Amino acid sequence: MPRVQVNLYATLRRYVGGAPSVEVEIDPGRTIEAVLAGLGVPTDQTRILFLNNRAANLSDTLKDGDQLGVFPALGGG
Amino acid sequence: MAVIYRVNMTDLSVRSEAPGPGYLETGGRGLTSALIAAEVRPTCHPLSPENKLVIAPGVLTGTGAPCSGRLSVGAKSPLTGTIKESNSGGMGAIAMATLGIRAIILEGKPADRGLYRLIVNTEGIQIEPADELAGLGNYETVGRQYEEFGDKVSCLSIGQAGEMGAAAASIAVTDVEGRPTRHCGRGGLGAVMGSKGVKVIVIDPRGGHRPKPADVEAFKRGAQKFQEILKGHPLTGEGLPTYGTNALANVINQAGAYPTRNFSQGQFEGTEAISGEHQHDVILERGGEIAHACHRGCTIKCSRIYVDENGQYVTKGPEYETIWAHGADCGIDDLDAIARMDRLDDDFGLDTIETGATIGVAMEAGIIPFGDAEGAIGLLEEVGRGTPLGRLVASGAEVLGKAYGVSRIPTVKGQSMPAYDPRAVQGIGVTYATSTMGADHTAGYSIAANVLGVGGTVDPLKPEGQVELSRNLQIATASIDASGLCLFVAFAVLDKPEAMDAICDMFSGLLGREFTADDYLALGKATLAREREFNRAAGFTAADDRLPDFFKTEKLAPHGATFTVSDEELDTVYNFVGE
Ligand code: SF4
Repeated sequence: MPRVQVNLYATLRRYVGGAPSVEVEIDPGRTIEAVLAGLGVPTDQTRILFLNNRAANLSDTLKDGDQLGVFPALGGG
Repeated sequence: MAVIYRVNMTDLSVRSEAPGPGYLETGGRGLTSALIAAEVRPTCHPLSPENKLVIAPGVLTGTGAPCSGRLSVGAKSPLTGTIKESNSGGMGAIAMATLGIRAIILEGKPADRGLYRLIVNTEGIQIEPADELAGLGNYETVGRQYEEFGDKVSCLSIGQAGEMGAAAASIAVTDVEGRPTRHCGRGGLGAVMGSKGVKVIVIDPRGGHRPKPADVEAFKRGAQKFQEILKGHPLTGEGLPTYGTNALANVINQAGAYPTRNFSQGQFEGTEAISGEHQHDVILERGGEIAHACHRGCTIKCSRIYVDENGQYVTKGPEYETIWAHGADCGIDDLDAIARMDRLDDDFGLDTIETGATIGVAMEAGIIPFGDAEGAIGLLEEVGRGTPLGRLVASGAEVLGKAYGVSRIPTVKGQSMPAYDPRAVQGIGVTYATSTMGADHTAGYSIAANVLGVGGTVDPLKPEGQVELSRNLQIATASIDASGLCLFVAFAVLDKPEAMDAICDMFSGLLGREFTADDYLALGKATLAREREFNRAAGFTAADDRLPDFFKTEKLAPHGATFTVSDEELDTVYNFVGE
């Protein structure tokens, strides 16, 4: 089964028991949205998405070895 | 009654005057830059008697407008040679506004090279000799003032770095707890204050009155609306208070834009250990404080109080930029060591960004190895002792890098870049290159649209759209910097158009006339035009609006990116001037 690594940050970690990162087995061609829904992460709270360090959309599909970075609305400076 | 004080440090006299008509509806950076542009010869030496240090609260400061307590300090910068405005939180601006003070202008230079303190209160300003404070850090300096005057006063002070005339010297502003943790950090303005012989300014607001809006009800409506918007926005209402500015560490690292080991890589393997999430957990476990406000009336509360393993106070925050500068940029992943360096920076009166970046360059030079936290603390302590090496550290990355023959020096106009690599976020590269301030992220925070998805989306890795993005943000920022509002309100303003209406309502209520979004943006444009003209007259040309060459030639992992916005495009950023 293809596997992807989902890195969650800030308030989103509460949906995976505080873990910074989880590995998920996926069917080929699953979208980011479906993977997050499967983890119980509400996508209305995800604001910044990275797929292999590039900006991504919820509808992007995933393949084996992909790395996801998922953030709520954050800022600073 | 609004007043501007002129403090002449040559003959130790003080004059008060009513602000001229052009100065009444501006404040903060709008006022400091207007006064510097009008009164300081652009080619003067920044540490000469001819330079002036202008200290001004924002237009809305002291009125009770949410997050409006920012203080601007302006001068010709000893670090960049440009005009400079550096702003800070803390309680100083509110204290000044409560006394009706629109600006304090420090002029001249004492012939005896003595050290003085200024006492600012309802009576005016008194100048007193303060040689006994010579060589003290900011903590001891302000601690003595609080002992003498009680806890109602606020202080602006310099540490050893400012006394030395060091180009990375900051001006400390005390926070709600009376600690010197807020700094006008950038551009070496602490050295200008030091050159005037002023060690500390004690502002005693007792007996003063809040500025009263001309139309109280209209003002209140705007303020209320603004507060609701800030509270309701996920970033200003939850992200910033919970995780602080350092929530960005993981975001920028994920984007491959987290400058690591003196801008040689775009990702740091130790990020999690110095991230905002980890910092949040450490602070709460040890009994520190999150969601701390740097001044009264801030509803965002991005600050925090950092304590050691025994629960003893170490420092505030530290902030994202500081943790990056002393952390990833130096290959250091030890949050406690970084907090100690933040404390030392605050005490010696150093810009944390410039100082961290300078230590990164010192590591590149081989003075100490990357990752050597104790070595970095040792280098900083040299500043406090005033050793020759310490003076180099306090002179900034460009000077130290040149002294040691380093070719990778991440500066523009002599000022170190902050925590975003311009190859992976091209919009911020435009701001670094063209800002009137030298490399400064706050001058036009393109990260919002390039990375955070706030205020639109512009692909960070492509040159397209970056100039327009940076230009618009530089204008909007110069407007915010005049208002006294904390720049972080911009996250909500960029997302919610009603926020702009609320700001205009507050201005209208305060001034008693209709104030529109166009009036607001005109404030920013006028400020930028003046600053740009000052720099031109000081000798700056288009050739200075460039990034160091290595950003065009060295590829940055993980994207293999170089900076690709063309010189011709960079030269169009200021095409609105003279429109
Ligand atoms: S948001 Fe942060 S920096 Fe801005 S005024 Fe509030 S505490 Fe200070």
